[in-house]
Amino acid sequence: MTLPPEEADEPPPEPRPYLTAGHDGAVAVPDGTGVSGLRPYLLTAGRVEPVDQTLEIEAQVVTTEFGAASYGQLAFEARDIVSLCATTLSIAEVAAKLRLHIGVARVLVADLAALGYLVVRRPSFPLSQDPNLIERVIRGLEAIR
Amino acid sequence: MDSKPSAEPVPGATRAPVPVKIVIAGGFGVGKTTAVSVISEIPPLTTEAAITSVAADIDRTGQVPAKTTTTVALDFGCITIDQEIKLYLFGTPGQDRFGFMWHDLAYGALGALVIVDARRIDDCYPAVDYFEKVGLPFVVAINLCDGVLTHDLADLRWALAIDPAIPLITFDARDRLSVRDALLSVLRHTLEKTGAPAS
Repeated sequence: MTLPPEEADEPPPEPRPYLTAGHDGAVAVPDGTGVSGLRPYLLTAGRVEPVDQTLEIEAQVVTTEFGAASYGQLAFEARDIVSLCATTLSIAEVAAKLRLHIGVARVLVADLAALGYLVVRRPSFPLSQDPNLIERVIRGLEAIR
Repeated sequence: MDSKPSAEPVPGATRAPVPVKIVIAGGFGVGKTTAVSVISEIPPLTTEAAITSVAADIDRTGQVPAKTTTTVALDFGCITIDQEIKLYLFGTPGQDRFGFMWHDLAYGALGALVIVDARRIDDCYPAVDYFEKVGLPFVVAINLCDGVLTHDLADLRWALAIDPAIPLITFDARDRLSVRDALLSVLRHTLEKTGAPAS
């Protein structure tokens, strides 16, 4: 497989494999031709499961004061995430904004949360079956005009 | 004097809302991304997921090493319901091989909207099968691309072989209020199911 010219000429300064995949409007089709040479889980030292395996992709992430104070000591994706989450975002949004795979973002967020750089607010599952909550969502949607 | 940085969120950070989600499913090109984009308050975001070696086993894509980097695109948007609740809409990837992601998408979801193109209804079968299997309440919505329903709804219901209790609606994925109403159908259906005593 030959690499596209821009990849061959200029290797990325850090391993962010999906900068080149699918963001030019092309849909990444699983036919093997769009496969990057770098494996996405390189960023997580090969771990595909977050330290907390139940972490939801919609969980809300926000940087702690400790995380903000430690910003200078962090590198690459960790630094990007801590910087980005000064405002609350979901893990899915973190992944999309930093062009990380969602699985990679989950692992990194779970790590950073375990280390105290981030706090994660998770959906509460009994709550997702809570009629009051569902009614509130219904009222909120009804307000859309 | 040094004050020890706390584990509290940074000052000025908005209090994290409770995230809730609805899954938008259906075959490739049925209007999932369109539906998300007309109602989302942010431009829809796309992220990617890789079938990992672990997931590949679950997904039974076999032991072919190349499959470990198969990617699927995941589109999503969000709607702020009120100060405490944020609704996320996740469009399932259009490809078939994303079984490993269905759990992440469906787990804890309020419900699902299965979008159907009446010209190729079988594209929605994997989604219908999956939501039936895991017991996630869902509504089947025929996307009226030209504003015309080409088949009788009763015929479509028969062809889809869905339970009579599952709502079958029509909507227009390009119309914001139509998408809103489709999502409301999902929530009302969920509410009905939640209200019913567990069997």
